[in-house]
Amino acid sequence: MTLSTDTPLVAAPGRPLQPTQQRRKAGVRASSVLFYTVMTAISLIYLIPLIWMVLSSFKTQNEIFDSPWSLPHSIDLSILGEAWQRGGLGTYVANSIMVTTASVVGILLFGSMAAFALSRLNFRLRGFFLVFLALGLLLPVQAYFVAQSTMLDRLRINDTRWALIIPYIGLGLSLAVYLLKAYIDTLPRELFESARMDGCGDLRMYFVLVFPLIRPGLATVAVFSILGAWNEFLLATLYIQSDEYKTIPVGLVAFTGKYSTDYPLLFAALSIITIPMVAIYVIFHRQVINGITEGTLR
Amino acid sequence: MRPSSRWTPYLLVGPAVAFFTFVVGLPLIGTIALSFTKWSGTNRIKFIGLDNFVRAFHDDVYRLTYVHTFIYIAATLVLEVAVGFGLAGLVSVQGKRTAWYRVTFFIPVMLPMVVIAVLWSFIYSDDGGLINSFLTAIGHDDWRQVWLGDPSTALLAICVVSGWIYAGFYMAIFYAGMQRVPQSLLEAARLDGASEADLFFKIKVPLVRGMTEVAALLCITGAFQSFDLFYVMTKGGPDHATEIVTTYLVSTVFVDHEVGYGAALSVVMSVVVIGTGLLYVKLRRGDGVDVEY
Repeated sequence: MTLSTDTPLVAAPGRPLQPTQQRRKAGVRASSVLFYTVMTAISLIYLIPLIWMVLSSFKTQNEIFDSPWSLPHSIDLSILGEAWQRGGLGTYVANSIMVTTASVVGILLFGSMAAFALSRLNFRLRGFFLVFLALGLLLPVQAYFVAQSTMLDRLRINDTRWALIIPYIGLGLSLAVYLLKAYIDTLPRELFESARMDGCGDLRMYFVLVFPLIRPGLATVAVFSILGAWNEFLLATLYIQSDEYKTIPVGLVAFTGKYSTDYPLLFAALSIITIPMVAIYVIFHRQVINGITEGTLR
Repeated sequence: MRPSSRWTPYLLVGPAVAFFTFVVGLPLIGTIALSFTKWSGTNRIKFIGLDNFVRAFHDDVYRLTYVHTFIYIAATLVLEVAVGFGLAGLVSVQGKRTAWYRVTFFIPVMLPMVVIAVLWSFIYSDDGGLINSFLTAIGHDDWRQVWLGDPSTALLAICVVSGWIYAGFYMAIFYAGMQRVPQSLLEAARLDGASEADLFFKIKVPLVRGMTEVAALLCITGAFQSFDLFYVMTKGGPDHATEIVTTYLVSTVFVDHEVGYGAALSVVMSVVVIGTGLLYVKLRRGDGVDVEY
């Protein structure tokens, strides 16, 4: 049975409401209106900047300056194409897709392999590896990026996509191993033991048994790994100088530098990046919110 | 379980450990080693002992970065954690449809920080910005500011954006916690005549208290590591008014090419962050915060 404040608890069906109950019902309705008004007002704080961004890309430079709150006279979608073309957004998006895909595949594969071994197999250095990998949960990037940039420099892989993919995998692994290990720890022991009795080796056990069973855990790890790599800015801005390898965040900063006076174009570029992300988010909001909060709380 | 052969565990752990060693392990040792040297990145490395650390403690700008971080922490504890807590209270009111609001409040959390930083630079713009033109519209021309260009408002302006981004994140955490409060308890309290406010302050707030400590520490460690907003919106300016540890670190290492000194600055900062992080782990051990949205 569900009880809610909208339905009076004591009024039996068919019996007329007592005056106090009627007053209470009206009060509930009034407070409901107040509630939704307040909530909508708060929502506007979030939505107005985003709506303003999209609408401003359809206005002229003068309109943006003179009447920031006005609506555009017409919606001409060609500005989006122009921003995409002139700003070379295609390159940035392609780089982000490549870097993110490679990083996430690496994190999921290597992370789940390690998580399985650390969760289920007894071997000499297990304790050491666990503590070693846990370091990544504690250390800020700032603790090691100074020497990391020097290393990438010396190996001549700075200013390539590898200069992002390799660090992103290394950075993402700690959390992935930690979460996936916790996940594998909850699987029943008998499962592994009976597979072993049937002569199943470690590697086969990983591919046939573990990998399919931890798919929900992998999904969570994938969500925050994707968003992490897609939105990462600090390393990307330090390690990438060539325009052809820039990911979206670094590319956008370059874009704002290049077209700093062309406001409609800038707003169009921001909209191009934002709208698809918000659309995907609205569809998968449950997974995204879960993934981010779980990933941050550890 | 015994491994099926002696080498399979190492084969499974190998790639992860190799990546981690290369990306975190070696650079960590390298950064600590560099912190005792004077090096421009190209000339010969010179060992100078603790000189960098002595210099850091006398570096006015570096000390200023911590002052700014503390102001940022104080502001975001209110704008992110407290506001997020309030939002969680609102979206967990019984019998109200709040799914749409929860989705909306979380939008900025998943967007690239750079997009938000650029967008808000426009909102704060002195000419044609949303805020200044709004102030003119309500007849307060005198309240207009060059928000990001004025040392007295720049830091606070960034704190507000940070709050705009992360209040939704803390809402999600607290909301998850409040949803775990048993329904039977809330129903019983309501039958005894408790109002929604009573339910919030007398039942939900005490029950998620452990989470507020976690959230506060998350906010603090996050503040020490923040970079994107500051770098894109003000680059630490005007006149170091929004300089924080990482923006200063980046300009020391990558603009001034003082790699050794920069390494020392990052070691000091890491000790601070890890200290706070350990406190966090210790608190976390007490109550398991499981988020099931």
